[in-house]
Amino acid sequence: MMSNPREPGGTGDRPEFLTAGLFVGFGALGLWAGRDLTFGTASAMGPGYLPTIICWLLIIVGVTVGGLGAFRDREEIAKPKLWPVVIIPAAVVGFAFIAEFFGFVAAAVWLLLVGSVADRDSKPREVLMLTAGLTAFGALVFIVGLGVQMPIWPF
Amino acid sequence: MEFLDLLSLGFSEALTPTNLGFCLLGALLGTLIGVLPGIGPTATIAVLLPITFYLPPLAGIIMLAGIYYGAQYGGSTTAILVNLPGEASSVVTAIDGYRMARNGRAGSALAVAALGSFFAGTVATFGIAIAGPTLSSFALSFGPAEYVSLMLFGLLAATVLARGPVLKAIGMVLLGLLFGMVGIDASSGEERLTFSAVELFDGIDFVVIAIGLFGFAEIIENLENHEARGVLVTKLSRLWPTGEDFRRAWPAVLRGTGVGTFLGVLPGGGATLASFCAYSVEKKASKNPKEFGNGAVEGVAGPEAANNAGAQSSFIPLLTLGIPSNNMMAMMLSAFIIHGITPGPTVLATQPEIFWGLVASMWVGNLMLVVINLPLIGIWVKLLTVPYRLLYPAILLFCCVGVYSINNRIFDVVLAAGFGLLGYAFRKAKCEAGPLLLGFVLGPLLETNIRRAMTISHGDPGVFYERPISLLLLIATVGMFVLMILPSFRRTRQEAFQDEEA
Repeated sequence: MMSNPREPGGTGDRPEFLTAGLFVGFGALGLWAGRDLTFGTASAMGPGYLPTIICWLLIIVGVTVGGLGAFRDREEIAKPKLWPVVIIPAAVVGFAFIAEFFGFVAAAVWLLLVGSVADRDSKPREVLMLTAGLTAFGALVFIVGLGVQMPIWPF
Repeated sequence: MEFLDLLSLGFSEALTPTNLGFCLLGALLGTLIGVLPGIGPTATIAVLLPITFYLPPLAGIIMLAGIYYGAQYGGSTTAILVNLPGEASSVVTAIDGYRMARNGRAGSALAVAALGSFFAGTVATFGIAIAGPTLSSFALSFGPAEYVSLMLFGLLAATVLARGPVLKAIGMVLLGLLFGMVGIDASSGEERLTFSAVELFDGIDFVVIAIGLFGFAEIIENLENHEARGVLVTKLSRLWPTGEDFRRAWPAVLRGTGVGTFLGVLPGGGATLASFCAYSVEKKASKNPKEFGNGAVEGVAGPEAANNAGAQSSFIPLLTLGIPSNNMMAMMLSAFIIHGITPGPTVLATQPEIFWGLVASMWVGNLMLVVINLPLIGIWVKLLTVPYRLLYPAILLFCCVGVYSINNRIFDVVLAAGFGLLGYAFRKAKCEAGPLLLGFVLGPLLETNIRRAMTISHGDPGVFYERPISLLLLIATVGMFVLMILPSFRRTRQEAFQDEEA
């Protein structure tokens, strides 16, 4: 973990606020998504009975965490670096679409090349060799060996 | 004797070439990821989970189990040699182990760690073999009410014993329960919380959540934290402990085994907690506690025995009651479910070869690990120099193929990427994702049993406190809750986990 810079003076624990936001957000989302479900009674619980209870509990826990966090010493969220956060999901999602339409080799090459961009230490020669090696390994082990349902080539 | 018959059945299963091979593979992989910092057993098992679908059930489970306890061996190697704990459970080993290595006793420390682990593994294996049938025959008398109380107890205990603030962990459990409810409701057939997405009607797949929260999120976080680490490998000395070390180590191994076996069974326990407790037990039991931190052999022997014993005995609640006690066991549960086996008391009766085969393979695997770790130690140390930039693309590829292969759908991969981002947000919010996984796995089971219990009792909640076992479990749950609120207990708990976070 990264160090948490503390600023003297001021209150509010930012990671706790983020937690509260996530909990309350998911609780509210759950309540909204389940608004049409039958609640039922204790002896014959409907599909909405327990989800509703859990969503409310989640909101209560979230509000409590946020409330307690407001009185703590100020603490910042470790500063995010956008680069890997954007690149890794993009590489992954791209892999799925390419695999569906163009087969394993094209998808793996995309994933490994784009994924390698996420690390600034990458060296082009290494990346190319790694990509070639892992793509061949993956095709042999997963598709030929284990029988994962995916074409190897685009044609 | 029936016990011996069953154990020999187990060994005949464990010693087939296929199972032996996968046991070795698991042990090797476990050692490998134990040595490599930045890849933990949770992420590895998440990645390999979809692959076990293509293996025979027992072989896949044996391999995954091997990874878990193998990581305990591997983690200690780097802790001792380079002061870099490969796993959370070997953090305390680094304190005295690295000191011993600096004093020229690296070989001794490694041997004590490996032999202590082996001894603990053997004892824990017998523990499972003995506790298994006893507990599961007891569990056969459980009705829905008992299961509900047991699960509530387990979930709360898991949040108290895990690290991090309890309230946040409870929130994560709730979130896991909520995610577990997505899909078609088993009793009414109505779809719920699916946002009308057909792909979600069967619920969210465990692998999608596990790979997202532990695989992708971990990669993103590791790429963010660039730390240059100078690996300074200490020279290896003789690989056999001196008589003096041996004499001092064995009582510590015994105590560590006891502590580890006991703590592993508790919900939320497992290897990490066991090693921390064993270290403080050793410090208290020692005649000269000042030696600790300066290369006390007991400080290596106790925790190493404990983490291995804990890793293995945490299988007990899963195999006998069908209830996973930590996130690793949640993974194992889903490995069973992939093959259509629901662990619990009935498996022991209907498919004894699965239970006994696994138990026997654990002992075989421990034996393999001693061989893998002691003579081959040089190879593992060399691996430490492999930089992360060469490792993560391989992990990324394994994750993607794994998620895609569940249903051959783009949807699952996109959802896993989404969970990766969510997992990243959790890390920024300092929330441990483990309890979420536990809630997710137990959610459907908990809901079914609550509904069943309430239907039988016609909506009277008395069913939970009128039955003695259920009442006992509920009292324990409430007791734990009260304990948690008490300030003195909270302080002790915080201290116990302080070293870990450093």
